[in-house]
Amino acid sequence: MGFVELKNIDLSYDGSKYILKDLNLTIEKGELVSLLGPSGCGKTTTLRIIAGLINPNSGSFIVDGENLTNVPVHKRNFGMVFQSYALFPHMTVFDNVAFGLKNRKMDKNTIKEKVGRILEVTDLSQFAGRFPKQMSGGQRQRVALARALVVEPKLLLLDEPLSNLDAKLRISMRTEIKRIQQKLGITTVFVTHDQEECFSISDKVAVMNNGDIEQYDTPENIYKYPSTEFVARFIGFDNFFNVEKANYHNYKDIFGHQFVIDYEDSRTQAVATIRPDDIQVVPEDSNMNSIKGIVDVRTFLGDSYQYEIKTELGKINVNHKSEKPYQQGDAVYLLMPSNKIILV
Amino acid sequence: MKLKRNTMLLLLPGTVLLILFLFLPLLSILFPTFFNEAFTIGKYVEFFKDSYNLGILWRTFKISMIVTIICVILGVPTAYFMSLTSKRTRSLLLAVTLFPLLTNSVIRSFAWITILGKNGVLNSFLLSLNIIKEPVGLLYSEFAIIIGTVYLFLPILITTVLGVLDNIDGDLIEAAQTLGANYFKSFTKVILPLCIPGILVGSMLVFTGTLTAYTTPQMLGGNKNMMLATMLYQEASALGNWTNAGVIALIMIVVTLLVMQIFNIIANQFDKRGEDENA
Amino acid sequence: MRKKNIWLTLMASIVFIFLIIPLFIVVVTAFGESPSIQFPIKGFSLQWFGEVFKTKSFMRGMKTSLFISIWATVASIIIGVPAAYALARGTVKRRALLKNVFLSPTFVPGIVIGFALFQFLTIKLQMKIITSLFLGHFLISLPYIIRVVGSSLEHFDFSIEEAAWTLGCTKTKSFVKVVLPNISSGIFASFMLAFINSFNNIPVSMFLSGPGVQTLPIALMNHIEYNYDPTVSAMSVMLMLCTILLMWVIEKTLGLATIA
Repeated sequence: MGFVELKNIDLSYDGSKYILKDLNLTIEKGELVSLLGPSGCGKTTTLRIIAGLINPNSGSFIVDGENLTNVPVHKRNFGMVFQSYALFPHMTVFDNVAFGLKNRKMDKNTIKEKVGRILEVTDLSQFAGRFPKQMSGGQRQRVALARALVVEPKLLLLDEPLSNLDAKLRISMRTEIKRIQQKLGITTVFVTHDQEECFSISDKVAVMNNGDIEQYDTPENIYKYPSTEFVARFIGFDNFFNVEKANYHNYKDIFGHQFVIDYEDSRTQAVATIRPDDIQVVPEDSNMNSIKGIVDVRTFLGDSYQYEIKTELGKINVNHKSEKPYQQGDAVYLLMPSNKIILV
Repeated sequence: MKLKRNTMLLLLPGTVLLILFLFLPLLSILFPTFFNEAFTIGKYVEFFKDSYNLGILWRTFKISMIVTIICVILGVPTAYFMSLTSKRTRSLLLAVTLFPLLTNSVIRSFAWITILGKNGVLNSFLLSLNIIKEPVGLLYSEFAIIIGTVYLFLPILITTVLGVLDNIDGDLIEAAQTLGANYFKSFTKVILPLCIPGILVGSMLVFTGTLTAYTTPQMLGGNKNMMLATMLYQEASALGNWTNAGVIALIMIVVTLLVMQIFNIIANQFDKRGEDENA
Repeated sequence: MRKKNIWLTLMASIVFIFLIIPLFIVVVTAFGESPSIQFPIKGFSLQWFGEVFKTKSFMRGMKTSLFISIWATVASIIIGVPAAYALARGTVKRRALLKNVFLSPTFVPGIVIGFALFQFLTIKLQMKIITSLFLGHFLISLPYIIRVVGSSLEHFDFSIEEAAWTLGCTKTKSFVKVVLPNISSGIFASFMLAFINSFNNIPVSMFLSGPGVQTLPIALMNHIEYNYDPTVSAMSVMLMLCTILLMWVIEKTLGLATIA
């Protein structure tokens, strides 16, 4: 049994349209798990159910063997960082951070000591007397994190905490979050719609779609072997086409082109897919994993060219680096390496 | 869910008080107007048959209309002027506008008695200039009601329109000017159409305010120039005819709601055109 | 700053003169020596201000008005703020309808409210006039609270409240410690507006006057009907000074623009 368990969670506001349907998720102690998905997939809702801000219609939520399904939000002892940071505008940084400790009726000296320590960890000591309005986005973000961490929560919940920061700060903050999370060994749930951000810091990723988890695995496995077409598309796969098993590792498309795939798959019918980056453009046909096409549209991406190529299988998108770009109308051969092509 | 029940609980005391002390009393004055042993609209038919009543109804409408038009003509340019001034001047002018608004309407009507009365400021001024030979009776007339009510409601129109003008993107005027519109045109073609919803809201407040005004018609109109509110008071307290007062009360409520609805419908039309869907 | 047109300036000037002159005249007439109102005044005297304090109906009216307006506004805040919060929190069904119920006193003409309360509460239910007067003023104050506090709650980020919950604060405690401090200026603004409106109200109080119970505006109005003398001007000047004081307080705390 995992440290955190969501079991058969259903959520619907009107009884017919389900926002979450039979959702299950297990998180081990000390893990950082991301909920990844497009807006409206139910990832924030799942986080809010974990936090206790929303009650599910059915299902149960267990942390460390304790059933918390009906425990109200203020008794759960989790730390949460909101997308808007949700700092108390009328309190100083110190009072913001001390808020949770005061609710736990701790004595003044203990509060002072604990707040001081967490402000040091988050590099905020010199801002203790400031109000949130007097601080930059990155600083506010750290206050929100400090406020959530100081209560030594069983779980840390992060709701798109980086989405309001600029690109550069986002990268340094996510490293910061990972560093603190590892140092404190705190089990963390992180909600995001940004694939790169999510892969960079997560131990495990749950890709969500339509109120359910489509795939739950390590970032590496999801990146290499997405299990469904939705997940594949979401993490950058393109060029989907139907194939049929010929024998062992060999597959055929409907036009008879042959494809070899490196790993074993038991299905006889499947959809093959490959990232635009992984397709090679070659001048000659090889009899395996290759297909003929004509360059239709070319766009310049900086370090490479993106081609839309017309083939028997329809349009295939390819990113290709070359000194001399192909022109519209050029006939080319596309090679899809057996270790890059996958079945979903 | 639990949260919902708690939220409903917060609305309960107010709702109960409103039902007990507003809706119930209203029902109790309106009920007798429809029941004389059996259901009847006789009282209303009677009301609308009487030319005296119709005269008052017409006067109320006429004065409301005139006051609204005057307020718009005076108020919109004034609000526009305020929106163009520096921050400092503007807050001073805002104070000048708000001061009468926050001053008791008895005092404001009293000021106009002092000005318009037989021995008032205006008469003695005109007499001293030999423009008139003897004092003119300006007070206790429709004219006095109109000027007093304009004085009452002009600040409301100004502040409402000013609020809308403040939300207009300054770039729009500059955009209009880069496209060759001159000063006057950028006002009539760009600013004015954009603040029409504000003008409508302001007009609605002025119109319904005048329609139901009591103090000013009472103090400046005299007994000869009754309006709906003063008539209601007279029916109920001087004549003791509570059923008739109830009839007038319902007419006032219905007319007010109707006017609000009409203004809202028109304003919504403009809103759809003038504003972002997701703004 | 953009260029201003000469005609626009002229017109606006006339409007501002129109707004200020009548009240200016009232102020001047308070300082005359003659027992009837004159403008311009002859002589200079402060005796009419002394008269104000000797006029029993004014003094009693002032007491009644302050008592009614303050308590009616306080009551409307106690009832209205939680209601505005519930309406803004958005978990309520039929929100638009409920909001209209709470705003309904603005859809009913003041004179009708006064008449209905007088007839039902005072005559039928035999309540004291002062009770009906208080309830009437409570009713007309409530919409101000709902509107103004409601609009400051619209700008309130409710995740701040949720953050307090996650940090171990109960809902009631979070409301007091986190929500209230952040809408306090809205509550203050609504208090000022409702108070001024209630203090100045006439139509609602018109029916709800009786022996010993009369608000100041009604007392003033009755006084003018029988005695057209500078005492009224003096009383007006004093009330205007109070208005200026209130405006100054509002300007210093919230900015006048917030109540415009």
